[in-house]
Formats: sequence, structure tokens, C-alpha cells
Amino acid sequence: MTTRGPAPADGRPFPWLLPAIAFTALFYLVPVIDVVRLAFSDATLVRGASGYSLDAFRAVLGDPALPQVLGTTFVFTAVNVIALQVAGLAIALLIVRGEARGLRGMAAFRTLVLAAWVVPGIANGLIWQMLFDEAPYGTLNSILGGVGLGPVAWLSDPQMALVSAVIANLWQGTAFSMIVFYAARRGIDPTLYEVAQLDGARAWRSFRSITLPLLRTAIAVNTVLVTVQTLNTFDSILALTGGGPGRATEVLALFTFNTVFYNFDLAGGSVLAVLLFTISAALAALVHGWLGRT
Amino acid sequence: MKLLPLAAAMALAPTLSPAQDLVTRTRVGLPDAPNVLTFRLTSYDLYSSDPATREGFEALFSDFIRARPAWRIETQLQTGNIGQEQARMLQQAQAGRGPDCAMVDSSQLATFRDADVLRPMNAVFSDAEVADLFPYVRDAVVNEAGDVLAWWWFTDLRVLYRDTSVVPDAPQTWEEARAAGLTAVEAGREGLLFNGGRWEGTAFDWLANFWAQGGTLVNAEGAPVFDQGDNREKFLAAVAYVQDLVDSGASPERVTSITDYDAFNAAAAAGTASMFVGGNWQYGQLRTTLAPEDFANWAVSELPGPTVDQRATGTGGWAIAAMTDDPAKAALCGQIAKEIYAGPGNALQGLLPTSTALYDQYDAYDGPEFELFAQALQNGVARPGAAIYPEISNQIQILLGDVLSGAATPEAALDAAGDAARAAYARQ
Repeated sequence: MTTRGPAPADGRPFPWLLPAIAFTALFYLVPVIDVVRLAFSDATLVRGASGYSLDAFRAVLGDPALPQVLGTTFVFTAVNVIALQVAGLAIALLIVRGEARGLRGMAAFRTLVLAAWVVPGIANGLIWQMLFDEAPYGTLNSILGGVGLGPVAWLSDPQMALVSAVIANLWQGTAFSMIVFYAARRGIDPTLYEVAQLDGARAWRSFRSITLPLLRTAIAVNTVLVTVQTLNTFDSILALTGGGPGRATEVLALFTFNTVFYNFDLAGGSVLAVLLFTISAALAALVHGWLGRT
Repeated sequence: MKLLPLAAAMALAPTLSPAQDLVTRTRVGLPDAPNVLTFRLTSYDLYSSDPATREGFEALFSDFIRARPAWRIETQLQTGNIGQEQARMLQQAQAGRGPDCAMVDSSQLATFRDADVLRPMNAVFSDAEVADLFPYVRDAVVNEAGDVLAWWWFTDLRVLYRDTSVVPDAPQTWEEARAAGLTAVEAGREGLLFNGGRWEGTAFDWLANFWAQGGTLVNAEGAPVFDQGDNREKFLAAVAYVQDLVDSGASPERVTSITDYDAFNAAAAAGTASMFVGGNWQYGQLRTTLAPEDFANWAVSELPGPTVDQRATGTGGWAIAAMTDDPAKAALCGQIAKEIYAGPGNALQGLLPTSTALYDQYDAYDGPEFELFAQALQNGVARPGAAIYPEISNQIQILLGDVLSGAATPEAALDAAGDAARAAYARQ
């Protein structure tokens, strides 16, 4: 009879963790600390910090534009997070069902959805800008016109511009949710569904009583990841609308970019980055606490 | 005695044979040349996607470096995100890590000057050459001490393009532009198109309407004053002009989504456009895009003003500046500007030179459109040489988007823009 000896890290894990901690600190913690330092400074893009105070916080948090930007960010993020989950889950379940029935082309379908995910944000914005073009020859409006609908002011109307930005983000982001849910759904023991079927449960009942409860952790994880991703979205909006018309589609990440590169206000941009970080962390903790309980 | 160092340098320098590849994606000259100059350039010339432009500049650079075999130019390409690229380059220059020589957007020139990162290139340019520059160009590149801190090698301007089959006579005033737009709409075309989305082109194109009335964006100290005193009235009048164009239907509502001059070329090619506010460089693009019989209908004229006598047009372009403390490198940078770009480079691309003498020197400027451009340049206004300009532009973009989409009144939007610009100025 042989007995298993102590694992290498038993009792003294720190030396084993040191490389990972050092790597994380170097590439993640140091920049975060520097952003916090800059937020308390008076640094601009053309001048280094010469003093430290709360002035940048006062200026940024007192900016009359901030409430509108936060409101736009909230709407953009909330709608996206809900829609991304619903669309991702729907596509994942569709693929799983298709595979279970031996339908051909499911792998191709999955690849097609994933293709959108690898498109860079800037390219995504440009693609949708062409589709939403409101010129008489614009793609979507021409299609709508063919069936007697439209034209739609996709990008020139402030409300529709935000809807368009959401659509562009959904098109790209759905793949990520789909993969998370697809993996989680494949992990559910098929016996549960067979038993439910024997008991006469219909599809909706199986979904409500088996799929949804067992996907709870995946939903929690996905919600956190998708929320953080959406909060950080700025490149696709920059290419699609630039944040306009006016400030109609200017989300917090884009506002941060503009503060740094239009105002040259590095301290103000850092305050906004800290704000974005705080919101992301708070939402992640909230969602994890709410949905992640086992 | 003077020949001795020269002979020694020639002996040490590697020899260039025509067969050797002198231009690569990262270098001009031989890889083992002893002297190195780093040059950060845009992607519009030596590395242009247009083969004819690229080959033309390759020839110019090859000739240039053959005459200087001891030098190697290490090229660094800027991306199309001009604002971000220029801000990053400024940061690098301040930290002593910037390129020796670089293309600087004319709108950012003042920021680079204020940051004291530009080094004189006086040895290259004669007093006569400096005196021949357009006045607004000379003011931007020469400091109080008379040092040539950059060479603004081409300029551009905004003009009104019109399809003469729909709009035969050039609108001279805002009222005539509105009437012409409505006539075009009745004829089944789109009215007057202009940039109205969230990007620099929107603010810059619209500013001509403000400048035509004598409005000023900043005071002598560089502080924003566009919403104060007489400027306020002029600003609101210029906003009312474009608001009326959209409200009356003389311009389509979609202008608030236009963030690219190419949109006008596309509309012209599709046969839906009747007029647009575009850049002078689009004349050549239209010539190559449209069928000859369609292109024959298109004409350019000065931008309409509030009255016939009140005209202005925004002028931009790019400059080349030295950021090195090495006088030999600064001189080479000036020589690149003078021998490659200002003159031959202008003519190659049809870009407008900043010196009047060059218009007579090259056949490329014989077309009738250049007479109009030269005439309109008399009313040219450059963006103010103030670090606050990018934020003022940002606020004007927001203001125009809000007003044209009906999200705010002009007065409230102007108040918000003025307050925001002043707050940003206070923090600079």
C-alpha cells in the first residue's frame, strides 16, 4: 500500500505563487496604481504632474456633461447586458438542440456567430456605419424601402443612434455569451432531460426547471464579464458615431478618451478611469453576490 | 582645407548602387549608413495605398538619399488616428524619446510650439522663401525670434461643390445657398450636404461661417471667447444658418451622421448630391470617380457667406518639424521638407503649396480650379494656435449635433459649450 506524500505547495504556497503575483503586479497593478496617482495630480498630456490635490475629482465630478454620459452609459450597458444574455442563450440552446437532433451545419453556424466576435471594434463600427448609412442608397434603408418601410434615421436621430450603437455591439458581443452558455449547457447531464421527458415535462418546463437553475453560475459569470466588456466599449462607438449626434452615444469610456485626447486632461481622464473601474468592480460584486450564490 | 572633411566623409560613406533597395517599409537609404535620422510620417505619401503616389515618393526619396549616402532615414508610420498620434508624439518628444523629424498636423502646430519641442531649421530656408509663404502659414511656423520651427508644406481649404445641371449659379450668400438647396430637393436631389457628425471636419467646415463674420475663437492669451461679446452674436448667426438649412429641408437631416468627406464623393457618384461643402482635394477625386460627362457638370466656388463680401474658408494641411537637438539632423529634416515635400511632393499629389512661387513653377497647378482655390485662399483662416482648440472643436461638434437634431436650443448649447471650454482651459 502506498500513501500520497505532500504536494509541492503544501504548507508553503507563497514561493509558488510569487511568479504569478509578480507578473500580475507588473502588468496590471502598477498601471492601476499609476492611474490612481494621476487622478490626484494636475498632469496633462503635455505636462507632467506638479502637485497633488482633489481638483481633478472636483472638476470631473462637477462636469455638467457627466450625468448625461452616465445615463447613456447605463442605458447602453443595461440593454446590452440583457440582450446579450438572451441572444447568446437562445443561440446556444438552438445549437445544442440542433446537434442533439443531428442537424447538419451546426458547427458552421457556430463558427459564423463566432466570426463576428473576432472583428476588431473599430472595424465593427465601420461595418455598421456603412449599413446604417442614411443616404438614399444606404444598405438597410434601401432594404426597408424595398418592402415599403423606412427610411429610418439610424444615426442622425439621437435616440435611434443609441439603438444603432446597441445593435452594433450586440452583433459583435453575442458570440461570447453564446460560447459561455453553450459550454455550460453541454455540461448539464442529459439524463436530467431524459427523466423530465419521461415525466411528461414540456420544453418550457425543462428549460425553467433544469436548464435555467443549472446555468445560474454561468449566467452570473457571463453577466459580470459582459458588463465589464460593455462598460469598456468605446472603439466601435467611436467609429460608428463618434459619440454623436451631440453626446447622444457618448458612453463613459469614450468620454474618458475624449477628455484625455481632446482636453489633454490626463488627470481628468484618470479620474474617469477610476470611476469606470469602481463602477465595474461594484457591478461585478453585486452581480456575483446576487446570482453567484450556490 | 574645407574639402578634406568632405572627402573623408565620402570615403567613409557606403556607396549606393541603383540596384540596391533604398526604400523599405522602415527605412530610406542603406542599412549600414553611419548617420541615422528618425522620421515619423503619415501614410499619405511614401507609404500611400495609391501605387502612383507611392512610386512617385519612392523616386523622390531615393534621389534625396543618393545625394546623401552617409545618411539613413528610419521611417515610422503614424496611424490615421491623427489626434491620438499627435498627442502621443508630443508626449514622447517631451520625454526626449520623440522622432528627430516628424509630420505635424497644422492644427497641432501651436501645441508643439508651446511645449517647446520644435528645433529651428533656419539653415535650410532663406529669408526670401520664408517671405513667400502665405501670411497665416508664416505666422504659424516662424517664432518671435525669427526661427523657422516647422515647414508647413501643403495647405488645403474648403469650397462649395455643385452640380451645375441642378444648381447652375454658384450661391454667394447663405440665403442663396438655402434657396439652391430647396431647388435641388424639388429636382429630386439631396440639398446642401455638409459634415454634421461628431468629428473635427464638422467644426472646421462650419467655422468658416463664424470666421466670415469676423468671429474669433480665442483671445490673445489663448482663452476661449467664442461665446462672449460680439462673438456670441456671430456664433449664433452661423448656427442659425445651418439650423435653417436642415429645418427648411434645404439640407437633409442625415447631415448629423456625416463624419467623412468620402460620403460626399459617394453621393456625387450615386447621382444623389447637388451641392456639398468639401475639401479642395476632392476635386481630383471627383475627376477620377465620375464619368467624364458627369464630372463636367461639377464646379467649385467659394463658400457662401452671410453677405457677398463676407467670406472665409478654413485652411489646414501638414507641416514637417525637427525635434532633435542635433543641428545636422535638424538641417536634414528641413531638407526633406524643402526638397521632397514642398514643391515636387505638392505637384505629385496636387496638394496646394504654401508658397506662391510654387504655383507658377509646376504645370500641375494650371487648371482653372487652382485659380479659384488661390482666390479663396485669400480669405483663408487657420485654426487658432492655441492648445484649447481641440476642446473648442469638440464642444462645437457637440453643439451642432444637439442643435441640428433638435436636442438643444442654440443659446443653451452655446452656454454649455462656452462653460465646458473655459473649464477645460482652466485645467490646462
